[in-house]
Amino acid sequence: MNWTAAIRKKLSEQLTWENLLPSEQPVYVSSLVYSFGVFTLSALFVVIVSGIIMASKGTLWYQTSHLGYFFRNIHFWSVQAFFFFMTMHLVGQFFMGAWREGRAFTWVLGALSFGIAVVTAFTGYLSRGDFFAQWNQVQAKDAFNGSGLDGYINVLNNGQVYGLHIAVLPIVLIILVGWHLLQVRRLGVVPPYPEKGNQEGDAQ
Amino acid sequence: MNKARRDPNSFPQKDFDLIKEGTISLVIVVILVVIVSLIWKAPYSPAITNQQIANSNPILFEQTALNDLDGQSAMATYGPPYNNGWKGNITAAQSIGPLNPEAWWGTPYQVIPYSADVMTPLQMLATASSNSQLKQALATYTSASPAQQQTWDQNYNNALAKAKVVNGKMVVPFGSYGPVALMMKDEWSMGKSGLLSGALNRETNQGVYRWNVQNDLLFLQGAPLEQIAKSRDILGGQWGINHDEVADPGPWWLTPYTFLYQIPPYNTSSSGDEMAAYSVGILFLLLLLLPFIPGLNKLPKVLPLYKVIWRDWYKRNV
Repeated sequence: MNWTAAIRKKLSEQLTWENLLPSEQPVYVSSLVYSFGVFTLSALFVVIVSGIIMASKGTLWYQTSHLGYFFRNIHFWSVQAFFFFMTMHLVGQFFMGAWREGRAFTWVLGALSFGIAVVTAFTGYLSRGDFFAQWNQVQAKDAFNGSGLDGYINVLNNGQVYGLHIAVLPIVLIILVGWHLLQVRRLGVVPPYPEKGNQEGDAQ
Repeated sequence: MNKARRDPNSFPQKDFDLIKEGTISLVIVVILVVIVSLIWKAPYSPAITNQQIANSNPILFEQTALNDLDGQSAMATYGPPYNNGWKGNITAAQSIGPLNPEAWWGTPYQVIPYSADVMTPLQMLATASSNSQLKQALATYTSASPAQQQTWDQNYNNALAKAKVVNGKMVVPFGSYGPVALMMKDEWSMGKSGLLSGALNRETNQGVYRWNVQNDLLFLQGAPLEQIAKSRDILGGQWGINHDEVADPGPWWLTPYTFLYQIPPYNTSSSGDEMAAYSVGILFLLLLLLPFIPGLNKLPKVLPLYKVIWRDWYKRNV
């Protein structure tokens, strides 16, 4: 079997340009709830850009310079926006039963993204370099140790925590979010629950 | 699964511009974030150094160092992953029944507060300042019997409870403290100078680069930081991590986790941290596997909210 040909065939069947960059969508996509996904992505974009700028200048920059303060503010509030929109997106998709009709894996990828985002944000809180970071670092050690994660991470080692925050976890998050998006585009937006008397399409 | 997968493309379609929608959304979020950032800024209050504690609360500083010296501090008796306790006494071991993963990895981040926080920094100070008195005091303490060390430590501990700070000098009642009084005085001096942080940081890093702040953070991890955290309303029992020091929103997405610390058995058990971590792990698994959990995966169908979300669609099809 030719692996390249097989993958090309599979991708070209599943990821058509019409699916990836649609210029039409079903009429049932008509609610504010649908905007939370794209707002989540937009906020994530701002988080990443402000994070890259901060990482490029180093950890003291955002604690000691005015421009550094500004980007720390941007990073902080875009994270708040990201979690707000992501939570609204999650709640909305729950009430729509968005995992129906073959979309369970899309939900799993979304939930995994949420979990990784929480850990990424936590390592960010520990990288602030202020009292809140200091206090949570010494507090968090007991939870990390108690759960057995001490075998992997020393939360008092800023080198490790910062590396996880600016490289390892964001890369995992971006892969998960990208994959989640591809699934959404590949399968299309979940149709509404069928009306009474018509149970067709009520499959999980 | 998939017993009736309907193709979204088979539904009536309307115009949609993905790129335009994404761009507009990004512009809105950027404007919103920049405005909020300019108005409210982000919370920040500088980290607390042991120099600050040495200057602001000398008695607490010496008590902290003394507890490390005589094995009474929380870190001295912590156990894995930092040490094997003090003379076999471990107070921070967490286990749910026989499950104690904390100890699976041994002591990879070793810290023995007796030497790390007191003896090693004082030896460095004695060498750096050619202080023969301090050198002699350290030798006397090291060569004394454990019973003698304990007596000196206990006497000095009792004396600290009655100590006062007068004009920046610590006045300790007269007593039999052996070399301990001088050792603590020099440890305090080192703390006031700011050099103690450097000594502690040196211990957890190999050579020049200082990325691991473990020992510097752990020196203050007990009462000194707790007193400050309590005054700022961010202890675990005060919903800790869930909110920031000031009015700005904190990591509110940790609410389910923080909530556990407000109720028994999490806030009463000595293994509360381990229990909370695994409870949240189980809750997350429920969220992750929701589509596959019978009953829960039908919940949205029972709740009427989907009718509100798709009200236009249902109206159209009446």
